[in-house]
Amino acid sequence: MTDKNIRERIVEEVKKAPMLSISASKLMEITAQVDHETTEVVDVVMHDSNLTARVLKVVNSAAFGLMSPVTTIERAVTLLGERVVVGIAIGDSAGQLFNKALTGYESAGGELWKHDLRAAIASRQVAVHGKAGISADFAFTAGLLHDIGKAFLSDFMEGTAGPILEQIENNQATDYLESESELLGINHTEAGLILAEYWSLPEPLKVVIHHHHHPDQAPEEFKALTYCVHLGDIIAMMGGCGTGSDTLQYNLDPEYIRYLDLSPTQLAEVLLEVDEEFAKVSGSIAESKESPR
Amino acid sequence: MSQLILGVGDLGASKTSGGSVKTFALGSCVSVLLLDPKVRAVGMVHVALPESKINQTKAQSKPGYFADTGIPTLLQEMAKLGCNPRGQGMIVKLCGGANVMDPNDTFNIGKRNALAVKKVLWKYGMGAVSEDLGGNFSRTVTVFVDTGDVLLSSPGRPDWKL
Repeated sequence: MTDKNIRERIVEEVKKAPMLSISASKLMEITAQVDHETTEVVDVVMHDSNLTARVLKVVNSAAFGLMSPVTTIERAVTLLGERVVVGIAIGDSAGQLFNKALTGYESAGGELWKHDLRAAIASRQVAVHGKAGISADFAFTAGLLHDIGKAFLSDFMEGTAGPILEQIENNQATDYLESESELLGINHTEAGLILAEYWSLPEPLKVVIHHHHHPDQAPEEFKALTYCVHLGDIIAMMGGCGTGSDTLQYNLDPEYIRYLDLSPTQLAEVLLEVDEEFAKVSGSIAESKESPR
Repeated sequence: MSQLILGVGDLGASKTSGGSVKTFALGSCVSVLLLDPKVRAVGMVHVALPESKINQTKAQSKPGYFADTGIPTLLQEMAKLGCNPRGQGMIVKLCGGANVMDPNDTFNIGKRNALAVKKVLWKYGMGAVSEDLGGNFSRTVTVFVDTGDVLLSSPGRPDWKL
């Protein structure tokens, strides 16, 4: 089979992906606007009974650790933060993709979601500590979606992990992304971009998904956001939350210092905060799924 | 068979026959393994950051998170099993401390963790007999009580011993 055939088959698979829920799409559109109001987010949640139930379950989970129960969506959104609400909406409507075992990367089911959630939290913390001058919550959303393309490549990469790692170690490829392109004629950022277009995601999210390994190629207006996710992705992998064989097999672009003010001490603080926030958010989302509605 | 699973910043020790201590996916974190052949006990701490001064509260709630508080606490934990509290007679093995592919070495937490761990061990007059540190890959590590064997694995690579 030629690369062209594989590429076409992957593109076909992407276009067969489940659509995002209307609520998830609306929430991403709203939160992409810098001057949006929290009431707009609350409105979307209130008009979706399933999402309302999930948001209340998450905020009232033991992992979230509140003393008294929360019964209103306004308060739930305030306590969770818009980012977690958007995360619940995306995770629920695209769970099939996020929870798929990435066997081509030798990664178990659920690892992609964990990596993306951790990268989302890290991207947000990088935006805050690095004084990126962008919406930190939007960096979270971008971080959550950045690697979604791997869900479509994985099936076509069975048995390739060992040879790819050897290629990179022998300097025959610069990173895992290049090896994906060589092998399949498409890499996970390109597959992710096709999905982002199919889902009609806001422009900055398309840019981040496409350029998170090469943020220098992002349009100037979205560079700060793309660098936040570039670092967020790497921080998630450093924290032991990768997606299998490609973990840490990508280059750090040192040009991030032009957009982010992040000292080694701040980086250590980010790592620690990410650990704590990840335990809280992933625990509360998982717990709310386990208990009956 | 009892298996003790450690998360980030956790530490634990065992001398249960047939038992093991395991931690998953060390990235830039370093795992310090202490083996006491006389007591037939093994211990492990999963260190995430070099120094506790950046967050004393965290150091108190999870001393294993930092090199400077993790190793002394692991020694205390092993002393409860009858090991020497200063680590005398123990075998030390180190693994983890992976790095990012970074031309300027700015994100060198893995390297800094490895150095911090060695510095603390030196204070006790201890040094590693073997180590598997650095590189650009994550490691899952298991140490077995009966044999003292340390088994490492990483996606896409054959398992190996330390």
